[in-house]
Amino acid sequence: MNASKHKSKRVTDPPSWFEQPRNINAMIAGLVIVCGLLVVADLFYTNPHPHFDLETSFGFQAWFGFVSFVVIVFLGRILRMIVGRKEDYYDR
Amino acid sequence: MIMIANLPPGLVMILGALVLPFVARRLQAYGVLALSVISLALFLITPAGEHGNITLFGMTLNMVRIDSLSRIFGIVFHIAAIVSSIYALHVRDPRQHIAALVYAGGAIGACCAGDLITLFVFWELTALSSVFLIWASDSERSYRSGMRYLIIQVASGVLLLSGAIIHYVQSGSLTFASFVVEGEPLGLAATLILLALGIKCAFPLLHNWLQDSYPEATATGTVFLSAFTTKLAVYSLIRGFAGLDLLIPIGCAMTLFPIVFAVIENDLRRVLAYSLNNQLGFMVVGVGIGTELAINGTVAHAFCHIIYKSLLFMSMGAVLYRVGTTKATELGGLHKSMPWTTLFCIIGAGAISGFPLLSGFISKSMIISAAAEQHQFWVWIVLLIASAGVMEHSGIKIPFFAFFAHDSGKRVEEAPWNMLTAMAIAAFFCVGLGIAYPLLYRMLPYAVDYHPYTVTHVVTQMQLLLFALLAFVVLMKSGLYPAEQRSTNLDTDWIYRRLLPACIRGLRTVYDVVNDAFRSDMVVIVHGIMDFTRATFNENGILGRTWSSSTMTLWATLLLAVCLLLYYL
Repeated sequence: MNASKHKSKRVTDPPSWFEQPRNINAMIAGLVIVCGLLVVADLFYTNPHPHFDLETSFGFQAWFGFVSFVVIVFLGRILRMIVGRKEDYYDR
Repeated sequence: MIMIANLPPGLVMILGALVLPFVARRLQAYGVLALSVISLALFLITPAGEHGNITLFGMTLNMVRIDSLSRIFGIVFHIAAIVSSIYALHVRDPRQHIAALVYAGGAIGACCAGDLITLFVFWELTALSSVFLIWASDSERSYRSGMRYLIIQVASGVLLLSGAIIHYVQSGSLTFASFVVEGEPLGLAATLILLALGIKCAFPLLHNWLQDSYPEATATGTVFLSAFTTKLAVYSLIRGFAGLDLLIPIGCAMTLFPIVFAVIENDLRRVLAYSLNNQLGFMVVGVGIGTELAINGTVAHAFCHIIYKSLLFMSMGAVLYRVGTTKATELGGLHKSMPWTTLFCIIGAGAISGFPLLSGFISKSMIISAAAEQHQFWVWIVLLIASAGVMEHSGIKIPFFAFFAHDSGKRVEEAPWNMLTAMAIAAFFCVGLGIAYPLLYRMLPYAVDYHPYTVTHVVTQMQLLLFALLAFVVLMKSGLYPAEQRSTNLDTDWIYRRLLPACIRGLRTVYDVVNDAFRSDMVVIVHGIMDFTRATFNENGILGRTWSSSTMTLWATLLLAVCLLLYYL
């Protein structure tokens, strides 16, 4: 939000390694590849002590992690509508 | 030697705090560090067992009890005190140094207390000393927040003392041992004590003092705060309520609701406070399950948690110290000017999320496995969801919005050397505990037969975490991730900050209306009664005047006649 105030400074500041779109895309591509490999890895081992059927289903924790994350974020958006107030709410 | 063993551990720090004001200001911070180190050395040579038994007013108190449980908590509390005092070496504020020393010493004394009265004394000492770390921010906000914190903490102490007294009256013993009897409901004493612990442990609905106060403390103060109070409560829960089934649903709720609040919270130190609440949930579930594996997991998790949570609060403290705020909306791009802080923060974030080779992985998984071994399917599912949630708020949100995201354009200096040193030590512990985990497992209360690095465990955990990360990338790219917003999010503190005052104002208004409407009428009525009474009872009134003897005789004769009649009837 203070971007405009510091704009002049940012022009002289070259984007860091983490800010270059090429590197960001490379990191995302790397993440997708690793995720793919992790799911494929499920084919190559067996859980020696499964406690629940769900645990041994293919790629369970992969999709579960993805879905949980999305659900949590969307619950957050709903919660914001309910409990979100202006920043100075308690100061007024 | 024997004398040392009889003194409560941490007493060196508490007494040292009294000397601290007479030391030159620039040496005070080093005094805190030196006293913490001396206290650790003394603690390590104190033999296990019960020491310091004294008799007071006919009660036997056991001031020092060192067993496998109090030993490991004592050690980690000392580590936290030492690391936090290195972090605060640049501070030139006697208040904070004294408060921090008494606070840490009190927590160490409390976790080695063998009886409920000694526990209560140290318990209150931590409450009274820690509030100064909040007030030291010297703002109206922190003053008010500290007041609320103090009231709630002291309330917890009062409940603990009430429970202790009732327990003493009922059982004749003050020993702090398990209150859980298989198949029997908790008695009144145990319920009061559980409530006292519940406040300190930030049970749902009793939790909000934590999110309210910790972000208001000073940059260095919050680091101390994050280590002691809540983990002292976890220690006490293990000691008093291990295996209490009620704790499982409470813990599950604690792991879940804070993560949703953390998603929308703008102040990153408050995000960490919600995250702390969520981590406590894992521990409370562990205490509730109560098997050897679960208790080991809880203790291990508390140990690792104190260190990585300190690390995260330290990294945000460094940001606060340099930038002046920890609001996500005003940060971003700090990795350019604070590269070391960024690195340490990422290590802390990885540790709390439970990445393999870091400390959270080897401790949290014990609790999750304990739930699975008890075939508690829903508990297991909840803990997995909560793990994805940890990845969201602490694993991604904290480092991403502070150090990357959109460049805020803020260019600051790297954190001072002492802050970096403290963070480096904590980061070293996070990695060290993740790799050399047998060192930690050896200190746990029960013998450990648990191997965290199995193929199944590593692969499934990596799946969970990296797919959560993938979800974050997808949501960011599609613009569905909620933008950071400057806001205040209502929580249960709204009840006592807004609802109750509003109710009281409403009652006052009703009172005023009633008062105005009826007071004059009431006065008229009261005057009427007074006039009537005066007229009746004065010397000329019917009941007050003097009657003649003949009239009195007549009435007395009539009365006797009636009595006689009644007697024969």
